[in-house]
Amino acid sequence: MTAERGIPMNKAEALDRVGGDKTFLQELLNMYATQYAEKTSAMENAIHAADFQAIRDLGHSLKGSSANLSLPRLQYAAFDMETAGLEKDLEGALKALDRLEQEYRRLKDYLGTP
Amino acid sequence: MSENLPNRTILVAEDDPISRRILEKNLKSWGYETLLANDGRGAWEAIQRPDVRLALLDWMMPEADGPEICRRIREAKKGKYTYILLLTARDQPQDIITGLQAGADDYMIKPVNFLELKTRLQTGQRIIDLEDKLLQTQAQMTELATKDGLTKLWNRTFIMKFLDEELIRAGRTGSPLSLIMLDLDFFKKINDERGHRTGDEVLMRIAEILTKGVRPYDKIGRYGGDELMLVLPNCDRGDAGLIAERLRRECAAEQIRVYGKVINVTISAGCASSDHLVRPTGDRIIQACDKALYRAKAAGRNRVSAFPIRKTMARRRTT
Repeated sequence: MTAERGIPMNKAEALDRVGGDKTFLQELLNMYATQYAEKTSAMENAIHAADFQAIRDLGHSLKGSSANLSLPRLQYAAFDMETAGLEKDLEGALKALDRLEQEYRRLKDYLGTP
Repeated sequence: MSENLPNRTILVAEDDPISRRILEKNLKSWGYETLLANDGRGAWEAIQRPDVRLALLDWMMPEADGPEICRRIREAKKGKYTYILLLTARDQPQDIITGLQAGADDYMIKPVNFLELKTRLQTGQRIIDLEDKLLQTQAQMTELATKDGLTKLWNRTFIMKFLDEELIRAGRTGSPLSLIMLDLDFFKKINDERGHRTGDEVLMRIAEILTKGVRPYDKIGRYGGDELMLVLPNCDRGDAGLIAERLRRECAAEQIRVYGKVINVTISAGCASSDHLVRPTGDRIIQACDKALYRAKAAGRNRVSAFPIRKTMARRRTT
């Protein structure tokens, strides 16, 4: 578990989930990029509006997408967002958003290197 | 991998596009037709399709969540069973209980293990297959219990019950109900001279002509032998007479071909209506009809007579 948390993506697990189809996995990663941009932008708006239900829902949704692609670090950051929404914790939500952005950069670096 | 999976349509209701796409891809590779919805409303609309018997519902969805859709499906009691598998990221035992209480058949935690999902869907299919067989048997039993084996008309028990029920309804709504009883002229002769198989064929053909000639909500039963009974709700004595006369003409005009030979058959009919009877019951209206039928026979057959008997109602043969 700790080893998994160390890397941004468990590629073997993700590939296994899509039957070893690398092209399909790439298609999903592209979808994820779009999702990520839309959701984090919506999260920013929700934080400004202190809309805790939206914060929670967006966190939950991104958590699911991240889990599907075996992105544990992004999954946990999204879980932090969901929790912040649940606990009505704006500061926590801002921290979670920072963490998401940091983890997303890390994922891009990771995928950029062969 | 998909050889033992018949083509089945499965609903995937999931708001996360990535999860939906992975599910779709896997399900298709297992031989399923997928129907996709991204919120509760879409899921509810899709589930109305009769061919959707398997549903994968995400717990959290906009518009209506998975358990809510489960509840609605179970309340609506669609004709056939829908097997529902709930998907969720949650893993608290209370959620599993909530989901199952809402009517889900099974439950999986996301991200889904696909080998497990495939196997669980096979279980779902087994249940659907069992239900289909049960419904099929039930339909056969109902057919056997209510239909006449030869003519496929309603049997005596059913048509009498229908008559009683419709008379009660007619009494309540004040609309008239009519009954026509008819039999084939010289049917015994056909049986004696050409054999019972020919007689059966003739009777079946007459049943077909009658079935085509009445309104969809009228019912025709085999009262016994070659005696048939037509129950016509919301139909008065005048209309019943016209219908009977038209059916008589159609039967007389029909050249029935049996084993290469042409047979012409005529029918005699008696009509009675609830609006011409005091406190009409099933027995009374049948008695009245019988009298009219007897009159039609006595007057020379191939004619229609109505109760109460008036000379003008006994129509002369027109063919």
